[in-house]
Amino acid sequence: MNKELEHNFVELLEKHQNIVHKVCRLYTNNYDAHNDLFQEITIQLWKAYPKFRGDAKFSTWMYRVGLNTAITLYRKSKRTISTQDFEGVSFKISAEEYDDTQEQQLKVLYQAVHQLNDIEKALVFLYLEDKDYREISETLGISEVNARVKMNRIKTKLKTILNP
Amino acid sequence: MDELDLLKKDWNQSSDNHKVSAKSIYAMLHKKSSSIVKTLFYISIAELVFWILINVLPTFFSKSYNEQLDLVYSNKTVLVLINVVSYAIILLFVYLLFKSQKAISVTDNAKKLMESILKTRKIIKYYVLYNLIVLFISIILGLYFGIKHSTEASNMLTNASTSEMLVFYGVCFVMALFFLLCFWLFYKLLYGLLLKRLNRNYRELKKLEV
Repeated sequence: MNKELEHNFVELLEKHQNIVHKVCRLYTNNYDAHNDLFQEITIQLWKAYPKFRGDAKFSTWMYRVGLNTAITLYRKSKRTISTQDFEGVSFKISAEEYDDTQEQQLKVLYQAVHQLNDIEKALVFLYLEDKDYREISETLGISEVNARVKMNRIKTKLKTILNP
Repeated sequence: MDELDLLKKDWNQSSDNHKVSAKSIYAMLHKKSSSIVKTLFYISIAELVFWILINVLPTFFSKSYNEQLDLVYSNKTVLVLINVVSYAIILLFVYLLFKSQKAISVTDNAKKLMESILKTRKIIKYYVLYNLIVLFISIILGLYFGIKHSTEASNMLTNASTSEMLVFYGVCFVMALFFLLCFWLFYKLLYGLLLKRLNRNYRELKKLEV
């Protein structure tokens, strides 16, 4: 790979790195695991970069590679604690301490999102990133209708977690 | 207000504290990937090599094996034909494996990516299955010809009582079963661990389409 390509890539990734951080924040729950996943996504982006044609936006292209790495390719390191391992436990404590302030509500919301499965997280992620259902369905390989139905179910699920 | 809309507001406001520098990104580009595609690829190569060695090594190193072969296949063309066919099948598997490996693209949609990985896995599964079947058939043929060509063994078997024969078949059966069980456990463990998450997510995506 030539130097110029490498330079362009690093420049683009540095500018758009927040997208990768957001994926990591959703799929990991400690600092080391976050960094491991960030590195793996960076490697996958770099490997796929020569085929990046520029007809798609770099950021759009990053969503796909980032999510694919998090959901499918990434082999969790030993340092990663699966969010499913402590399902319920962390939430129960927070629910008891729950009060009406928005900050508290946000904290509980983040914990609730962390309890969703990988695919649900991907849907939530794209939704939070303001992607429309067409893009969500294209990124995940499901139909637009199903993406919409699933999103509504997730919303209901979150509502029940928050207001038991 | 919708719960997710509340989250969305915060999501877009929050900037991450650990910003990665360009220098660190440069360093990351030269680090090794720990993707399951890479691991699967190495395992596939190991399996290809393992079974090729199993097929080839005895002919190179065991004199008695070659003598036995000469004895059994008095017709040389049959032996050559069997060799040609078995190598052609191995080459076909190698070709299919590389083709499906190349088809795995991280820029496909999530479902298609998972499907391409599972397809590669399936090819290697069939390869192992093919080898196990060939091994099974060779063991049976080997036993048959071994007994037929060894007067000592044939005499023993013709003189054996029914109960002795039953014990003989029983031992053969248990050994074959044990052998297969070991293989099954090995693959279950290897691929089960490696593909557990992928399979779970793939099922979840498929469930959405019902």
